[in-house]
Amino acid sequence: MNTGDPVPTLPVASAREVRAQARRLAVQHRGALLGALALHACTAASGLVAPRLLGDLIGEVSRGAADVTHAVVLILVFVMAQAVLLAAAVYASARLGESVLAELREEFVDNVLALPLATVERAGTGDLVNRTTRDVDLLSRAVRQAVPDTLFAGTTIVLTVGALILVDPLLALPCLVAVPVLWAATRWYLRRARDGYLRQSASYARITDGLTDTAEGARTVEALRIAHRRTARADADIAESYQAERYTLHLRSVFLPICDVAYVLPVAATLVLGGVFYLDGLVTLAAVTTATLYVQQVIVPVDILLYWMNELQIGGASLARTLGVRGAAPAGASLPVAPAGASVPVAPAGGGGVTLDGVSFAYRAGHDVLRDVTLHVEPGERLAVVGPTGAGKSTLGRLVAGIAPPTSGTVTIDGAVLADLPLADLRSRVALVTQEHHVFAGTLRENLVMAKPSATDEELEKTLKALDAGDWVAGLGLDAAVGAGGVALSPAQAQQLALARLALADPQVLVLDEATSLLAPRTARHVERSLSAVLAGRTVIAIAHRLHTAHDADRIAVLQEGRVVELGSHDELVRAGGVYAALWRSWHG
Amino acid sequence: MRNFPEPPVVTPDCRSSLRYLCWLASGFRTPILLGAVAGIACTVAQALIPAALGEAIDAGIVGRDRPALLWWGGVILVLGVVQALTGLGQDRCGLTASLGAAYRTLQLVTAQAARLGGTLRTVASTGEVVSVGVADITQLGAALETTGRFAGAVVVIVVVAGIMLSASWQLGLVVLVGVPAMLWAVGLLLRPLHGRQQHLRDQQAELTIHAVDISSGLRVLRGIGGEAEFSRRYRRMSQRVRGAGVRVAGVEAALDAAKTLLPGLLLVAVVWLGAESVLDGRLSVGQLVAFYGYAVFLATPLRRVADGADQFTRGNVAAARVVRLLNIEPEHASGTTALPDGPLELVDPDAGLTIQPGRFVAVACATPSDAALLADRLGRHTGTAVTFGGVPLRDVPLEQVRARILVTTNEDRLFAGPLRTELDPADRPDGLPAVLEASSSRDIIEALPDGLDQAVVGAGQEFSGGQRQRLRLARALNADPEVLVLVDPTSAVDAHTEARIAERLRQARAGRTTVVFTTSPIMLNAADRVAVVVDGRVVAEGAHQGLRGDARYRPIIAREDEA
Repeated sequence: MNTGDPVPTLPVASAREVRAQARRLAVQHRGALLGALALHACTAASGLVAPRLLGDLIGEVSRGAADVTHAVVLILVFVMAQAVLLAAAVYASARLGESVLAELREEFVDNVLALPLATVERAGTGDLVNRTTRDVDLLSRAVRQAVPDTLFAGTTIVLTVGALILVDPLLALPCLVAVPVLWAATRWYLRRARDGYLRQSASYARITDGLTDTAEGARTVEALRIAHRRTARADADIAESYQAERYTLHLRSVFLPICDVAYVLPVAATLVLGGVFYLDGLVTLAAVTTATLYVQQVIVPVDILLYWMNELQIGGASLARTLGVRGAAPAGASLPVAPAGASVPVAPAGGGGVTLDGVSFAYRAGHDVLRDVTLHVEPGERLAVVGPTGAGKSTLGRLVAGIAPPTSGTVTIDGAVLADLPLADLRSRVALVTQEHHVFAGTLRENLVMAKPSATDEELEKTLKALDAGDWVAGLGLDAAVGAGGVALSPAQAQQLALARLALADPQVLVLDEATSLLAPRTARHVERSLSAVLAGRTVIAIAHRLHTAHDADRIAVLQEGRVVELGSHDELVRAGGVYAALWRSWHG
Repeated sequence: MRNFPEPPVVTPDCRSSLRYLCWLASGFRTPILLGAVAGIACTVAQALIPAALGEAIDAGIVGRDRPALLWWGGVILVLGVVQALTGLGQDRCGLTASLGAAYRTLQLVTAQAARLGGTLRTVASTGEVVSVGVADITQLGAALETTGRFAGAVVVIVVVAGIMLSASWQLGLVVLVGVPAMLWAVGLLLRPLHGRQQHLRDQQAELTIHAVDISSGLRVLRGIGGEAEFSRRYRRMSQRVRGAGVRVAGVEAALDAAKTLLPGLLLVAVVWLGAESVLDGRLSVGQLVAFYGYAVFLATPLRRVADGADQFTRGNVAAARVVRLLNIEPEHASGTTALPDGPLELVDPDAGLTIQPGRFVAVACATPSDAALLADRLGRHTGTAVTFGGVPLRDVPLEQVRARILVTTNEDRLFAGPLRTELDPADRPDGLPAVLEASSSRDIIEALPDGLDQAVVGAGQEFSGGQRQRLRLARALNADPEVLVLVDPTSAVDAHTEARIAERLRQARAGRTTVVFTTSPIMLNAADRVAVVVDGRVVAEGAHQGLRGDARYRPIIAREDEA
């Protein structure tokens, strides 16, 4: 398989951006974070009392006299306090974690919503879907478990070492043997782990991509009898994933055994050295016992900390991938966060003049799809764009709709450069409907009001009726669930839904890219006429391969190999006897 | 370690989720068993450390014996090394089992999706399939991986109890009664947690479906706006998930408290009884320290037992989803009657449509849904009374039908991969130049920097609608079936190119049967014969030119004639 393919993917945020985001979140949730930390510290502190009491008790017992009951009751009190404090700490950090998580995934979806289409198309939706599913899940795991456990472990370690020094500073020395070993091993590991786990994530993106293809195209797979190819693709993806998994396993195979040995080392060292100190009369038996218990007890939080370092790495990698989506959004692009209805800017009546000035566009450098197109469309005019497939008609539509900026030249509506307009403003001026028919998971109503959040049911019904969709929508009801997991709509119904959205959005300029191609011919023409009645006075740029649309338009632009080769009304062009005239004849021939 | 991918297995045990889990486990018996052995060795070594510690205190410190102190210090170190090495073994075995189970399930899910074909879309959304293939396989793997740790934890609880019993049966008994009591109590607390976790998972899954929906509908959103509305909807759901997460955390906090409190209580009892025993002279100081160590240590294997139980439950839930998917049967059962050889006549008695072998027939339907249904019937993609060479298609093995009749619609997907292989489903690369010519696709390929080696990405969305249509046509022609059924193959292609395609299609399919569903006069004009279908029945037949005066035919292609 083509594993070395330079398949373009969405960007990944740099380590610095990830740290900056973490800092921003920490500052923003300062109060909750400090509260959780304080609770964890109290929990850890109460956990340190029992070994101390036991050490003292053993010192007394070995001398033959002790108040056992008193010591036991005290230990009991602290154990109970520790349990209660732990519950509070866990709950507080979970609340914080859930808030942060919600914030991160909401920001992520907003970033996805602001992504330039060309980027998504080049990277494949698989990468995006994988980030929305697997990476958001891994991030959830990191935030739900790794972050609180790390907080707990960190505070416990700090407090335990403090308590150890309080017992006897001399006994704190042996546990230092582990520090350089752990430091070096962790450094070695973390340096390699980030890339290793990123590669692992990427391999799962390929698996998702392959499975999405198989599931989406299941009927095609069956019809073409290419099931063996789908399983071969899955096998290739598995091989790649396994390579990545083996690499991270190798990293762990070096790192984890070193850690395990490094944990036992200070226990043995404290015991042996402490014993020697005791035999030499430097420390008491109680101090040696307490210190050994502390050193043994601190293994658990250190282990938790290092374990979650790994998970934090994975979570960090996922965070880098989710934040990376932001990097793919054009500078300054942000979601219109205007509240529903009211504040949608109202376009000035009578506007809608579109001007293209020296516009060129290339999806790939050196392959211009549009070349130096200059064109002016009057407000309220109907312009049809015709030309052979691949001439750049759809690209022209996308540029006019402001979906992609031109490679050179400018596209303006009423003098405003589209590339500079904020998204909300852009939408009130221009909308695009293509032959693509995606029905969103949700109710029919939700599928419609996305274009106009303030629309009433009567308004929806009126619009649907005008587009010949009144009957079947009434049959289902506006509350019917459609899309994934709901009623499956036919392509024609989905297209009517798309047109209804357009009518509701009511922009100054509308671009129809083969928007009625899936309807039956008779319905299509009727729908087109109702649509122009509904949208009277609006500027329409209709991309069509069926010439009746051109015939009905005010002017026609003929596009060939990325250039406007003819421009004029139907009659003018037929008289001129050029490309359009030839097309018209072949149509009627 | 094993090498993945392994050859696919075809006989999973799908009678229940538990049986599926067991079947998976039986395929990875060796790594699971080795993992359990390593896990046991690892935890036992860990458990012996407090005992060695107690000996060091008794013999070395209290007994004032330097060599003994050093000896027991060395034993502790050796135990640490053993623990490290066996831990590594456990990790490796666990990974083999977990990846093996995940990969095997992925292979099965992929094969099942491919096998179900058209049926899949009617029973499961892409999101569901992908969620099984990505999220659930991870859970299955984790369930198998946890067995090593689980076994180690169970065994070590027994070993520790043994050590304690031999040191002091009273204290040992306290532990032996205390441990099951703790397990039982933890189990009680786990139950409400599972319910809430399931609820959280369901909500999270729904949230994911919406996020995926947004990603795949981005093109539509871009055209019409609505990003803000979707953002708001997502936020609402996301906040609901946050609420569910906080509620789960409430139960988790209680569980964590119990996990600390219960071993803590045991510890208190041990210290109390132990200290009294030391005062009575029945127990040494070192043994008391060891007992204390165990009481602390036991929290870890206990937690592992609880986590293991939790992981098995999740694995079982995941397995249930996998089993549901794997148990779906194709909508249309395969028959057993073999088809006769040679070009055959295709007849749909319900529509009154007869397609003679080797002809190029166009079908003009009054509504697109009629065309879709009729095409599906001809290709046995739905319930059908269609006969092929006099044999009802529903009685023929599906594989034979697919081998001889190909239905291509505009819903067909272009798969990711180099065009050279994607346009060649039947592995006949020599046919490519001819079909590219016939489908008028040469210019598409020529415009690509890598030509035929260019990789299709994202279902070919980078191509225009018309380009995708021509590439689909090229692919279908290269499959070279005996009967090719094309549904609206040129609806997004300009008139000029369409005329060229119609002419070349005829030549490319010379001698083979071709049925084109279309309302385009250019394509209709190129056909040998046109069948006009109104309300699901053939109402007129003849050549395009001859039919033009027919009042039932005109409105179907009226869009053009009116202009």
